[in-house]
Amino acid sequence: MNLIDSYVSEVGRRLPSKTRADIEAEISSALEDMLEERSSKAGRLADDDMVFEILKEYGDPEKVAGSYLPERYLIGPSLYPIFWTLVKVFLAITLIVVLLGLGINLGQSAHDLQTGLQILGKAAINLYTSALTSLATLVLIFAIIEWALKNSGKKVEGLPLNKEWDPHSLTKISPPNRIKLGETIAEVVFTFFAIFLFNFYPQVFNLGYSTSGNWYIGTGNWISVPILSEAFFRFIPYLTLVWILTIVLDIILLQQGYWNTLTRIFSITLKVINIAISAAMLAGPSLIALTASSFPSTLSNTQAIQILLKILPQIIRVGLWLSILGNTIEIIKAFSSMISNRQFAFTITGKSS
Amino acid sequence: MANYTITLDILYYIQYNVINGDIMTNESFDNVILELRRGVIVLAVLSQLSQEQYGYSLINNLREGGLDIDQGTLYPLLRRLEAQGLLQSNWRIEADRPRRYYVISKEGQTLLPQLKQEWNSIVTMMDKMLDMERRVS
Repeated sequence: MNLIDSYVSEVGRRLPSKTRADIEAEISSALEDMLEERSSKAGRLADDDMVFEILKEYGDPEKVAGSYLPERYLIGPSLYPIFWTLVKVFLAITLIVVLLGLGINLGQSAHDLQTGLQILGKAAINLYTSALTSLATLVLIFAIIEWALKNSGKKVEGLPLNKEWDPHSLTKISPPNRIKLGETIAEVVFTFFAIFLFNFYPQVFNLGYSTSGNWYIGTGNWISVPILSEAFFRFIPYLTLVWILTIVLDIILLQQGYWNTLTRIFSITLKVINIAISAAMLAGPSLIALTASSFPSTLSNTQAIQILLKILPQIIRVGLWLSILGNTIEIIKAFSSMISNRQFAFTITGKSS
Repeated sequence: MANYTITLDILYYIQYNVINGDIMTNESFDNVILELRRGVIVLAVLSQLSQEQYGYSLINNLREGGLDIDQGTLYPLLRRLEAQGLLQSNWRIEADRPRRYYVISKEGQTLLPQLKQEWNSIVTMMDKMLDMERRVS
């Protein structure tokens, strides 16, 4: 393989396979033309020096390949501000949680300098891995959203990106119908985390204790007992389905930019299913796995354990009732938006009078 | 209209620096000139392709006409113009070597007079504007 072939193949390997051969042939032809002209001007046969000269002139293969490619983003300018806001929120939450854990651990276990330093070291590692995981997951979610938005806008006919803008579309985007971009993306991110944690890391919802009586929540090397019962985890497949459908709805909303009757009905249906699941959870067996027998007798009789066992089921019940109440309010708001949108459209088009 | 605004912005930038006595670095000056020239490359290329030409001969023609354009800019541009339907191309074997020849398409031929007219109005507008600027200063 001569120098020109090597250069062309260096450019080619950075190009999409669809256009690679054609662009390679064109660059190769252009380089041969340059070499021919250089050789004829110099009045001698082309040599390696001449080839090096023209290749240098043609430029870095990476740059040449880049000039044939459209601008590509992992996270484009339209999503970047929301991404950056969420990165800050997530990192702040991670920092607060780790600092809280550090404070509790230092208060309870740091009896000497060595133990204190060990706890600090563990907290630093914990902070690093948690921040990295949060960041990586956020990047992944946003890259998927970016990819979905770009592809749907390019390939699917009838989406807003392909349509000529019509001022009449403003009638559809009355204030209650315009989606809240940040809120919708935040919902995608948090829902994704819920799917991820409940399905792949259920042990996060464990309560751990050591024989010395210190407590923590999450994974670890200490003795840990599940907080949530099997009855709770039987609902996870249904909840996961609702969460996936919620993400699908959010992506549709992000593409459209506003609510319409169909997406409202989709959302109301999801909320009704949510209410049904919450009601089933309330009516079914206990969702809490913790009982006095979960702990050794030395701990189970302590006042802290007695209070914990008493209030945990209450917290879950209140949470479920709040979920039912919240979903009901959301359904009423959705219906009211559908009605007010109709009135708004009538007012705009002047059909009401 | 957007192109006019960009051109005006660039000219304003040059003028601002001159008025304020700032010495523009060579790099800034080159960048501004590059921006100015970038706007006319499409018109220059289309105007030279009423007859078939391969890439390298087009570069030489443009250079002879005073527009120095490098291969890294021209070849991707030719592909974009072809994708837009303004050019047509075909491969031909010449002197044992394949060469891609470009020529303006029917669509390009329809567009070219409109572009020329647009260019003339830009030149007239800029002449007028610079004349006004000369009288003020």
